[in-house]
Amino acid sequence: MVVVADGSTDATAAVAAQAGAIVLSHPVNLGQGAALQTGIEFALLRGAGFIVTFDADGQHRAADIGSLLGALTKHHVDFALGSRFLGTVVNMPRSRRLLLRAATWFTRATTGLKVTDSHNGLRAMTRRGASSIRLRQNRMAHASEILHQIARSGLTYIEMPVTIQYSGYSLAKGQKLSEFVTVLIDLFARRLHR
Amino acid sequence: MIAQLILTALLFGVLLYAWSEYRRSPVIGNLSFLAALAGLDFVWVPSHATRLAEWAGVGRGVDLVIYIWVMISWILLLNLHLKMRAQLELITALARTIAISNALQALKDDGRSNPPQVPSSGGDLAALQSRHREDDARS
Repeated sequence: MVVVADGSTDATAAVAAQAGAIVLSHPVNLGQGAALQTGIEFALLRGAGFIVTFDADGQHRAADIGSLLGALTKHHVDFALGSRFLGTVVNMPRSRRLLLRAATWFTRATTGLKVTDSHNGLRAMTRRGASSIRLRQNRMAHASEILHQIARSGLTYIEMPVTIQYSGYSLAKGQKLSEFVTVLIDLFARRLHR
Repeated sequence: MIAQLILTALLFGVLLYAWSEYRRSPVIGNLSFLAALAGLDFVWVPSHATRLAEWAGVGRGVDLVIYIWVMISWILLLNLHLKMRAQLELITALARTIAISNALQALKDDGRSNPPQVPSSGGDLAALQSRHREDDARS
């Protein structure tokens, strides 16, 4: 278990380490995309054969990890992507649903991937899949970026139903409409930048 | 005439900027180059600006020149944004290297530094970073 403390000022790193996790601490806050890339690189360096990414805001269920890992071996794919719209969603506000639908439509249009949930942080990947990913979007745009890279890599993927449970905490940490605009600017700027 | 010379000097500065930026961002370089060329044309042949302005419905040629100057300013701002992104990528790489190195050292100190089980595709930090540099060069 690898926990990336992304410039956390609370006791996250100490609590995770006490629980037996390997803690990677960014000296400054960089964003979720940067934290994921750091964790993936570390796992690859440690020889991981499979990697599961899992948000820290409590919206995912550890019980779904087994089905994601099982899908990798059963269907011989490199990515198993969690989808709340194939599974169960608890306490999702209507505005969040609309925002996620719009993001999924945008991703389908720009990547050609027939995904149903483009911004789900619960994913499993093989070593080969993880090695083909290199997130350069430090913040929320990484969710679209990872799908662009999957599409470009030509590697196979499958979507699996998962349960997402929203709470006041996870809603406060999650994406907002204003951030969706920032994501679009980031993705546009990325294309201009060599 | 003095205004024309000053504007010409400034626009040549933009041309130099376009040339210097082309390698890092071809889009910015090309946009700056085109905007500066259009500006030079309008400064020395104002009738072109007037004709183009009438065609575009702007009204006066001088207004068109101002609009082009505003456009150049936006391009410069966009380029500044891209430069800040490049700086952020450097900071990210540095922070990531520190985080991973510290964790590896901590594992070593704890006696938990079991060697990578799959060393063939990058078993050490330097090799992984080298592979990323190669990816950058290719893209």
